[in-house]
Amino acid sequence: MSGYGLRRLPYRRPSSVAEALEERLGSAGARYVAGGTDLLVRIKGGVERPALLVSLRGIEELRSIVVEDETTTIGALATLSEIGAAPELRARHPVLREAIRGMASVQIRNVATLGGNICRASPCADGALPLMVLGARARIAGRGAGEREVAVEELFTGPGETCLEPGELLTSIVVPRAAQPRRGVCLKQGRVRVDLAFASLAAQLRLAADGETCEQARVAAGAVAPTPLRLARVETLLEGERMTPELLQRAAEIARDEVRPISDLRASADHRRHISGVLCRRALERILGGRGES
Amino acid sequence: MSDPARSSIRFTLNGAEVAAQVEGSEPLTDLLRDTFGLVGTREGCGKGECGACTVLIDGLAVNACLTPAQEVEGRAVVTIEGLAGPAGRLAPIQRGFVERGGIQCGFCSPGMILAAQALLERSDAPAEEGIREALAGNLCRCTGYVQIVRSVERGAEILREERRRDV
Repeated sequence: MSGYGLRRLPYRRPSSVAEALEERLGSAGARYVAGGTDLLVRIKGGVERPALLVSLRGIEELRSIVVEDETTTIGALATLSEIGAAPELRARHPVLREAIRGMASVQIRNVATLGGNICRASPCADGALPLMVLGARARIAGRGAGEREVAVEELFTGPGETCLEPGELLTSIVVPRAAQPRRGVCLKQGRVRVDLAFASLAAQLRLAADGETCEQARVAAGAVAPTPLRLARVETLLEGERMTPELLQRAAEIARDEVRPISDLRASADHRRHISGVLCRRALERILGGRGES
Repeated sequence: MSDPARSSIRFTLNGAEVAAQVEGSEPLTDLLRDTFGLVGTREGCGKGECGACTVLIDGLAVNACLTPAQEVEGRAVVTIEGLAGPAGRLAPIQRGFVERGGIQCGFCSPGMILAAQALLERSDAPAEEGIREALAGNLCRCTGYVQIVRSVERGAEILREERRRDV
């Protein structure tokens, strides 16, 4: 695929959020681009035809990872490699690191951003699931003064669609620090490791002191619905219960029932349903077996 | 008046300060191949899947086909042409590939070698799992990968030997 089409596509590189908003709103058909590992492929393939690219990579303030007592704030332009390597995040949100390590290749992780991964709003967005089970929130800058915040799971409105208004810009992702220890797991099933998932699942549990009663459950599934999906019925089933093998089996059945997959070139709907149940049971078993990241 | 679709950039290319004119969202592959004539950077898929266009930017392996050339402003880019030392002495990783038969048709080799180089810059004794992880973004249709993994192990060994001699 030649890059000659890209030579005719104007490219701006603002150095502040305010300038980026101005560039984006000043030109019909302008698109923001972060790492570009998805958007540039879509442009080369003729799937997207923007009139102007507004690169966010020159905006230093969007790159930082700030770890505070109660929250971790990940700049929307922090790369997957940077997030995966940050020692504070490794200790605090291992489920996020586990998801990132399963994503794409080194070359892609070195430029792809977590912000771009969730703004792309792919149903199989690997970055979405850990953020959903961690209760992360998205901070958004727009035309008006100040920023607004939405839960990451509320960002997604359909395949490739978010609740961002034209010109709005994701600036950071705020992950709360869990008050009590939790254990989480992120699992992904694809044809090969670097491929997109045809089913994925993240789970995070807060267990009681007995180590087997679930106090709080957060479970999210990917590639099995128009958006990354919280499995609310699975969560309700688990909360307040002892995690017996029978309960895990029941959770897997509900997960199979709760997902809403389609058939496509990666897998059939039936297979996705089956694998969602398997991943659900496997994730819960790993957490209970102490093999979940704590 | 300057053409609004053109931008001037300055960056370090294989150790030398260079300047270039870039058109719009032109990818780095085009800039390296067409403007600088560095055709060792291959374009395979153009979609970031095959890794044949891998170059190092500030020491990190990236796909040049998905890197808008404007993004290398002020950065240091290394292509396969910049890896050998003075008088063309091959780098340890290149010698590893020669000695262990890691090259067959050669199309993937520049990207493969640079992805491996990025790994060796962080660790000169990588485990096989780490090597396979580092090369997961590089496709080879000839070798079946085993010789490539052995080549990287040999390259690491040569690098360690050189480092021991230097101290």
